[in-house]
Amino acid sequence: MPPHTHRERTGLLQGTLDMLILRTLILGPAHGHEIAKHIQRTSDEVLRLEHGSLYPALHRLEKKGWLASKWDAHREHNRECKYYRLTPAGRKQLIAAESKWQRLQQAIARVMAAAVRA
Amino acid sequence: MTDDLDRELRAHLENEADEQRERGLTADEAQYAARRALGSETIIREDVRALSAWAVLDDVAQDLRYGLRLLKKHPAFAIVAALTLALGVGATTAIFSVVNAVLLRPLPYAEADRLAMVWENVNLPQYKNAQNTPAPGNFRDWRDENSTFTDLAAMRGTAFSLTGNSDPIRVDGAMVSASLFRLLQVEPVLGRTFTADEDRAAPSRVVLIGHSLWTDRFGSSPSIIGQTLQLNDEPYSVVGVMPRGFRFPDAEDLLWVPLGLTPQQLANHGSHFLRVLGRLKPGVTLAQAQVDLDAIAARLTAQYPDSNTSVGVTILSLPEQTVGDVRRPLLVILGIVGLLLLMVCANIGNLLLARASARGREFAVRAALGASRRRMLRQLLAESILLATLGGALGLALAWWGVSALRWLAPTDLPRVTDIAVNGSVAAFNFTIAILAGVVSGIIPALQSQARDLHDSLKDETRASATRARLRARNLLVIVETALGVVVLVGAGLLLRSFVRLSNVPVGFKSEGVLTFRVALPAARYRTDVQRTAFYQQVSERLQALPGVSSAAAISFLPLSMSGRTTGVSVEGEPPPAPGQARFVDFRTVSPGYFATMSIPMLAGRDVAWSDTNATPSSIVISETTARSFWPNGDAIGKRIKSGGPQDNTPWLTVVGVVGNVRQLDLVRLPRPAMYIPAAQDRATGDTLRDWVVRTSADSSALVPAVRSVIWSVDSTLPITRVQTLDQVKSASTASQQFNLLLVGLFAVLALVLAAVGVYGVTAYSVSQRTRELGIRVALGARPGALLKLVLAHGARLTLIGLAIGTMAALALTQVMSTLLFGVGARDPMTFVGVALLLLAVSLGASFVPAHRATRVDPVVALRA
Repeated sequence: MPPHTHRERTGLLQGTLDMLILRTLILGPAHGHEIAKHIQRTSDEVLRLEHGSLYPALHRLEKKGWLASKWDAHREHNRECKYYRLTPAGRKQLIAAESKWQRLQQAIARVMAAAVRA
Repeated sequence: MTDDLDRELRAHLENEADEQRERGLTADEAQYAARRALGSETIIREDVRALSAWAVLDDVAQDLRYGLRLLKKHPAFAIVAALTLALGVGATTAIFSVVNAVLLRPLPYAEADRLAMVWENVNLPQYKNAQNTPAPGNFRDWRDENSTFTDLAAMRGTAFSLTGNSDPIRVDGAMVSASLFRLLQVEPVLGRTFTADEDRAAPSRVVLIGHSLWTDRFGSSPSIIGQTLQLNDEPYSVVGVMPRGFRFPDAEDLLWVPLGLTPQQLANHGSHFLRVLGRLKPGVTLAQAQVDLDAIAARLTAQYPDSNTSVGVTILSLPEQTVGDVRRPLLVILGIVGLLLLMVCANIGNLLLARASARGREFAVRAALGASRRRMLRQLLAESILLATLGGALGLALAWWGVSALRWLAPTDLPRVTDIAVNGSVAAFNFTIAILAGVVSGIIPALQSQARDLHDSLKDETRASATRARLRARNLLVIVETALGVVVLVGAGLLLRSFVRLSNVPVGFKSEGVLTFRVALPAARYRTDVQRTAFYQQVSERLQALPGVSSAAAISFLPLSMSGRTTGVSVEGEPPPAPGQARFVDFRTVSPGYFATMSIPMLAGRDVAWSDTNATPSSIVISETTARSFWPNGDAIGKRIKSGGPQDNTPWLTVVGVVGNVRQLDLVRLPRPAMYIPAAQDRATGDTLRDWVVRTSADSSALVPAVRSVIWSVDSTLPITRVQTLDQVKSASTASQQFNLLLVGLFAVLALVLAAVGVYGVTAYSVSQRTRELGIRVALGARPGALLKLVLAHGARLTLIGLAIGTMAALALTQVMSTLLFGVGARDPMTFVGVALLLLAVSLGASFVPAHRATRVDPVVALRA
């Protein structure tokens, strides 16, 4: 058994992973594997998501009403996948999370800039 | 849901494997890579499952099973903790059951909050009595003129000799208005209540009987209706049987007859002997009724200044009337037992902390294996709750036992005693406080276990920081416990000092070696003073002839029995008192030898004598207070007073003797002016002698059969009741104080034990954790005395802090008990200092054992450990 809880496994703050998932789904419905690949690719392979951490997050967000899901046929292969899409509440949450993130990022940037000058 | 997740994960694995194959891996390799990228499916499933509510319950069940296993593994801890909790919870529940029955449950009458007792409110310079029994004239005017009550009913307590068909017995009862039962909305189980016609002047000889009298004496026979009972030697026809438990207005009442006030009585505003019950009209408040009756009372004062000056009205709701006097004491006792329960919580918290030391590594390992902090907190709480349930079950058993003890111990004047029981709401209360207590005691250890760093706990070397934190928490608990203990002990100390004061009140007579009993003469057969005097004299002589009896006499109202009579008097040679300025005197009728039998000192003049009869001038013996306040020059003998105004047609009473003061109604009230009228001159009062006193050098109880045969040798139809020693009468008059003291004293002893255990626990723990340090000190040459001081100082420091906090809390809190106290202030310094010294001594004693152990630490063993 790995010696850390799943939150530590992601290497991300819980809120950050949630925000990335919501951001990914703004482009349209996707299944878990697509979401993981998208986050990995768009971050230039910097954010290597442990796939296992994704599903509890998806289920949690769905429970909060920010996502809705539906089983649907895979676009290429002959199998069914569970597609997630953003709900209006999820959209609002994304906007809130993004602005919070912006503020945090700027604050950190200022601290770091000051540290470099010192 | 799980299937859904399985499908989802399978789809994910296939998608990932497809992708890997496209990168050129073989099918097997691709599948393996996909699995590795996903990680443990078990953990994913656990994490998703943890989102659902069912999972929480599942975990709780698991926590409980685990907790149960742990308790089984450490039975000593489980037993001590559960028993401590049971003690606290059981005591609290037992007291709550009393509060519930007496204060919380509504009275057994429809809309009981609309029922109210109406009293006269007398406020004269010499005679202040907030609740006087109303005069019939006032009752009639209130009843006829008010607009806020649906009706008013009058009652008058009495007692009946029930003779015929079995042994003569004395039964308490009441003469009541026919409207009483309609006001109370109580229906008889058999027959009917009184008609208005039966409740006229010269009332019909009809009677309603109580349920227990019906079952015990008449075998629940339905044919009782219409039967004739001999009450006070007069025939009464039974018209109905009241429901089980119906006792009104007094808790012993079992017979009711019509009151039948005469027109003369209904015009009388000066003779006060009724009790009045009313039912408020719907929507009317007590305050509105008060305004209504105040206006009537003011009119009556204007109309009848002689009798009604300074006579107002007091309205008390029936619930307030029934339990108003006991509310404060009961709530104080409930508060004290609540503090005791908090001490129990602190104690169990301490036990849990001690065990947390032993379990530090277990939790570190669980955390290392991935248990979340919340999960571990929940585990700890589950254990607390398990313990609480166990303690609650034991506590309920204890409470059940305690309640039967309480019912047995409770003073007879505690209202609604028979309702006290462990019922559903009491059991619910029991388990609620048990769980609360479990959670409260578990909180500090649980939080404390969370504060620790994982690595520190895993590594033994840095254990010191964890133990220090734990010791701090335990110190805090001991301080809290001591502070609570101060409040409980101060409460008990104040009650104890009050009780000692009360017991040492000079009653004015010597109660040791006196047997007392009651024989009431039925008026129907003892019509004339000659008949009555003959009975008294015969019984006196035969009682005094008994071996071991030095003297015997009788009185109309025994002291300390909360009953008596009072009259306004005029002093010869003084101008008639202005309205509202009358002098009042308690009066009693006595037979010769009463003062000698009671050892009441004769200060001047002579005792009453059999030769003082209705044919000779009326003589009285007065009390010292009467003599001093009426004739301050000390020449009372030969002076005369009379009942009522100087012009009234009552006989002049000549003072022939002065005796010492006696506390008449109870121990608390100071003696008021009193006079004693000779038995054979009872025309002045119409009072007959009821209570006999017999002074004996032998064992009082051995005398009882001889006394019975003496009475029955004179008249075999007379019931003999209230057979007891005068000491018992005196003791019974402080029954409620004894009850309060007994309970609070018991709680105080428990509090002392808990405080001692707390201090012992924390000092012993500190010694065991400091073995190495103590060993170093010994190795460096510390003397045993210094080590002893070190450990004792630890315990003493905690106790002193606790004492300081507790004393401040007690100073703020004891004010609520001031009405329960007698002769001591709520901030009595003696009590506070005494409690502080006692707690300090106990705490030093408790830390002495660990301190002694500290002096015997072997440096070699300690340093190697």
